[in-house]
Amino acid sequence: MKFLSLVHNEWIKIVNRPRTWIFIILPILLLLGVGIYTKTHIDPAEQKHWREGLAAQVKEDKKQLEESEENDDPEEIIAMQERDIKEKEYALKHNVPPEKMTTWKFMKNMSWISMLLGLFVIIVASDIVSSEFARGTIKMLLIRPYSRWKILLSKLVTTLIFSFALWIGFVAASWLIGGVLFGFGGFDQPYLVDNGHAIYEKLISTYIFENIGLHLIEFTVLVVLAFLISTIFYSNAIAIGVSMLVMLAGNTILLFIADKPWAKYTLFANLDLTQFIDKQETLVEGLTLPFSLTVLAIYAIVMLAITFAIFQKRDVNS
Amino acid sequence: MSEYTLELEQVTKQLGGKNVVDGLSFRVKKGEIFGLLGPNGAGKTTTIRMIVGLISITSGEIKINGLNIQEHYEKAMEHVGAIVENPQMYNYLTGYKNLMQYARMAPNITKERINEVVALVKLEDAIHEKVKTYSLGMRQRLGVAQALLHQPSLLILDEPTNGLDPQGIYDLRTYLRRLTNKGVSVVVSSHLLSEMQLMCDRVAIIQRGKLIRIDDVITMDNEKEVKVHFQVDDVQKAFQLIKGSHPELVIEKDGNELIVEKAVKEDVRDMNRMLVMADISVYGIEWKTKTLEERFLEMTGKGGRSDEILVSRS
Repeated sequence: MKFLSLVHNEWIKIVNRPRTWIFIILPILLLLGVGIYTKTHIDPAEQKHWREGLAAQVKEDKKQLEESEENDDPEEIIAMQERDIKEKEYALKHNVPPEKMTTWKFMKNMSWISMLLGLFVIIVASDIVSSEFARGTIKMLLIRPYSRWKILLSKLVTTLIFSFALWIGFVAASWLIGGVLFGFGGFDQPYLVDNGHAIYEKLISTYIFENIGLHLIEFTVLVVLAFLISTIFYSNAIAIGVSMLVMLAGNTILLFIADKPWAKYTLFANLDLTQFIDKQETLVEGLTLPFSLTVLAIYAIVMLAITFAIFQKRDVNS
Repeated sequence: MSEYTLELEQVTKQLGGKNVVDGLSFRVKKGEIFGLLGPNGAGKTTTIRMIVGLISITSGEIKINGLNIQEHYEKAMEHVGAIVENPQMYNYLTGYKNLMQYARMAPNITKERINEVVALVKLEDAIHEKVKTYSLGMRQRLGVAQALLHQPSLLILDEPTNGLDPQGIYDLRTYLRRLTNKGVSVVVSSHLLSEMQLMCDRVAIIQRGKLIRIDDVITMDNEKEVKVHFQVDDVQKAFQLIKGSHPELVIEKDGNELIVEKAVKEDVRDMNRMLVMADISVYGIEWKTKTLEERFLEMTGKGGRSDEILVSRS
């Protein structure tokens, strides 16, 4: 019971910050904006006759492909065009309408906002320890009859609760807004996956649920990382910067180190778990979901151990 | 239950190879107000930070209510209320929500108790305003409120009068006295030396991390270093007169005053009679003792003589 009151305190400190409301309102505004824009730009007639439209597109694409081959364009571009045509032909052959907008398709389209949520999560996680030092409130907090590790743990637990709530809340909001705009159907709507070897159908809803679960794990690792850095430096700016770098620039950094044998053991290589949803080829060879999960778990445990060890021992002079 | 609320035994804090606090030992009795006095950088705040567990102890032992704080931190801190330097609050929360934060971290604090403490520090009108609108004095009072909230048996106040107006200081002093009557021990550090003298029962003087000495504040009757000031019309004449009759005493002239050191009651009676008989007008006789400040400055080697204060002799 005593520990819960610490979590309660931390929760109040998060939700009473005005910026927290921006974190909640901004994604909803984006959903509404994109949703309404999409809704007003869909031509229902085109949707009905999607086969004709797609067939025409395939013809056009094939013409372009021939041109590309004549022009000796780079192999990658030609391969991409070929894949694109294959996908469209598959859709025609198996009668999979690619353009039909439903709430589930809307959710899949909007899942890029998870990047933004990741950023918000990093900000909250970086701030929850370092702002106490910046304000000097840490000394009011640490003189209570609680061991330091309990205080830090309560902050970790609260940040995770907030992150999960933000993510699940976002998913729920996108389902609701998509449903209101495009109808709540589409649970069994398929989409096409091209993993480089073959094209196959997959349910959008399966994608959504896998995406939800994998992002929970990603966010947890981001929170732990931001915690570690803000505890070492007592600076939310450094913590936000480094964590964002890992999240956003991770893939770019990976390009430079991808051929190194140790690349697959880095945090960057394993942080993007959604790459496993469609079993696409990964930048670093030999990555699998279980492998990445194991690597992330080890990173998280080591980072937590360092964070708690530092926090427990450090003199508070602010 | 120990008879001492707080015990420091050879407490040392080393920072960068230097002993910021060096073998400090003192004990605070139940129901007393104990002052920590020293120039800036003497180690007062470092000592307080060690007592409340904000920084580690290099060597030595600190006990609160008989419990070693390194072994039983949570249990020991249950009955401690503190302000370390300026009280820092969550600016974006109201005063009340700030107090609620600390109320949740202590057992069994009722709404009534919170309101009681708020009334005590006279923040009723502003308690539901955000702390960022508070003045320094209001923040200070909110800090006092959070320290008192859980009815601690040891109250540690680092510079508690900072930012308080004279009325606030008076109220705090009165309230602290009332707390000690209930058996609460208070440790105060302050740079307002005269304030310490009014507030404390005993004062520890600390310099460069070491304890210089511990003084009882209310011991004027035992005070050896009393000076008697005679206000007279003819200082020169009076000086020669008294010098002649009491050659063993140190006598000084200062304006229209004659200052006689280390005189006892009987001497003063005789001197007064002598002066009057010699037709010297005596306008006043005052007993003055060295202030804590003066003693403090003398001891910490800063020299200088500041105002002396009037002592009432019963």
